[in-house]
Amino acid sequence: MNAVSPSFTIPDSLNAKQPAELTYSRRDHVRLMTIDECATVMHGSFHDIVQQLHAGDVLVLNNSRTIPPVLRGTQGQQTIEVRLSRKVGAQTWEALIVGDMFQSNETIRFTDGVEAAVTGHGAERPLITLDFSIEGSALLDFIYQHGEPVRYEYIDDSFPLETYQTVYGSVPGSVEMASAGRAFTWQLLEKLKSKGVHIAFVQLHAGLSYYENDKWPSPTNHPEHFRVPRETASLLNEARKSGTRVIAVGTTVVRALESAVTEDGCVETREGVTRLYVDDQHTITSVDGLLTGFHEPEASHLHMLTAFLPYAKLMSAYHQALEQGYLWHEFGDLNLIFRQQP
Amino acid sequence: MKNVVLITGASQGLGRALALAFAKEGYALGLCARNEEPLRAVVKQVKEIGADVVTTTADVTKPADVDRFVSIVEDRFGKIDVLINNASTFGPGPTLLADYPNDAFQGVLEANIMNPFLVTKRALPGMLARQTGSIINVTSEVGKYGVAEWGAYSVSKFGVEGLTAIWADELEGTGVTINLVDPGEMDTTMHDIAIPDCDYELSDPEDVVDVFLYLAMSEGNGERYEAQVFDRKGASVE
Repeated sequence: MNAVSPSFTIPDSLNAKQPAELTYSRRDHVRLMTIDECATVMHGSFHDIVQQLHAGDVLVLNNSRTIPPVLRGTQGQQTIEVRLSRKVGAQTWEALIVGDMFQSNETIRFTDGVEAAVTGHGAERPLITLDFSIEGSALLDFIYQHGEPVRYEYIDDSFPLETYQTVYGSVPGSVEMASAGRAFTWQLLEKLKSKGVHIAFVQLHAGLSYYENDKWPSPTNHPEHFRVPRETASLLNEARKSGTRVIAVGTTVVRALESAVTEDGCVETREGVTRLYVDDQHTITSVDGLLTGFHEPEASHLHMLTAFLPYAKLMSAYHQALEQGYLWHEFGDLNLIFRQQP
Repeated sequence: MKNVVLITGASQGLGRALALAFAKEGYALGLCARNEEPLRAVVKQVKEIGADVVTTTADVTKPADVDRFVSIVEDRFGKIDVLINNASTFGPGPTLLADYPNDAFQGVLEANIMNPFLVTKRALPGMLARQTGSIINVTSEVGKYGVAEWGAYSVSKFGVEGLTAIWADELEGTGVTINLVDPGEMDTTMHDIAIPDCDYELSDPEDVVDVFLYLAMSEGNGERYEAQVFDRKGASVE
């Protein structure tokens, strides 16, 4: 399965082409569409989140930091674009090779004498695994020195890597920004904290979300590394006991937390690789609300949203978003969805 | 798990002395400098002490270099406990402000103010998430008193003191602290540039490291220490 039925199309005018701080001088100047527990849709600004959250609620952020995963190498005279997707080992990455002019039995040569050999298939086609000639910190240093961010075709400018970071991103490893938290400033997080909202962190290193040529990752076969620290697990379990809410910032946070839920519904400290697929067949137990961007009809993230509210209600809200001119993608506006009570 | 210290400008002078001192105290080290050769010599020395070290050449006035440096350290050790913003440049030797070349003035301010701003901003998220961390900015007596011919270096250190004061206020209650150390006059290449014909005795950089080791574990915030009159009880805090 690779796509949901394309029940809407995004006009080019609603593709966010640059970050809010370039348009309005502040990264938190984006809009917020809220869908409450009764599926009522409200339109406002992102700062409304201070009113939407209550003392005792826990806001969970993914502090994985974006690395620049696009490398350019050569095979003979041919330039090869490599997009790293997931670190598998000290010298091994799952990666996408863009374009057809690529020989899988031939070494890819990069600058500074660094090479990579194809050692097999990745989690799913067209991903492959690459073994680099350097490893560990030296390889990450090389990636930072020579890599670039993934820039999709709706972005006209070559923004630097720092444009693809949240303010709180710390642990390097995502190849695409965990963008739902991009609009947060430390000032806004401080406002929430002073209101009594708890801030907690998880890490999930996001892999590539698009494989080119109208091919998207199959969510059932898209492993990602995640970590739920002890402090976060404790905060969430206390919130569960006291009846306050847990709000995940981004689908990556939902995936990480739901991957750390025990049979009795508690969240536990956990680190590893998750293959969990969250859709309308999955019962979410760790999260009451989700702050997320607006997703393309083909994206698996849209499936995850149907675990929070029925597809028809989601599409109804999305059509309102289109009418109201909300902006899509990583620099776009935001959508706060509270889970519908069964 | 070992504590991790990140030191900029670690290839010579005070930076090198700090790397050796923290290595002896059992810290894991993240070190950077602009030039590879002298940095490699320091790495060899700290490894002989038994320290685990990650190093790269970086110009910490450039955001991309700062992100690369801090990221490879966080990737390797998983955290940063202590950040010492030591790297700085003096600019031309003794020069009256009225004679100071415009480009050099701007260059020194950018180098000495932007680098602690950028490195701190990049290292802070991890510290704030863990609600612990110590940031130490290196200042100078001429960051507090205006002295003729210390030029842009002095102006930049006034800036570093302001940066530290503002950040200390903003970090109050977060578990992360930021403090200043004035190491005093030391026998370094930078001092040779500042006072080429110095005729009095100078401290060795090794003599002033105690205050940094103390602040690495201290809960004090927004304080200014003079390293050469410091004892480990912190009795000389101003």
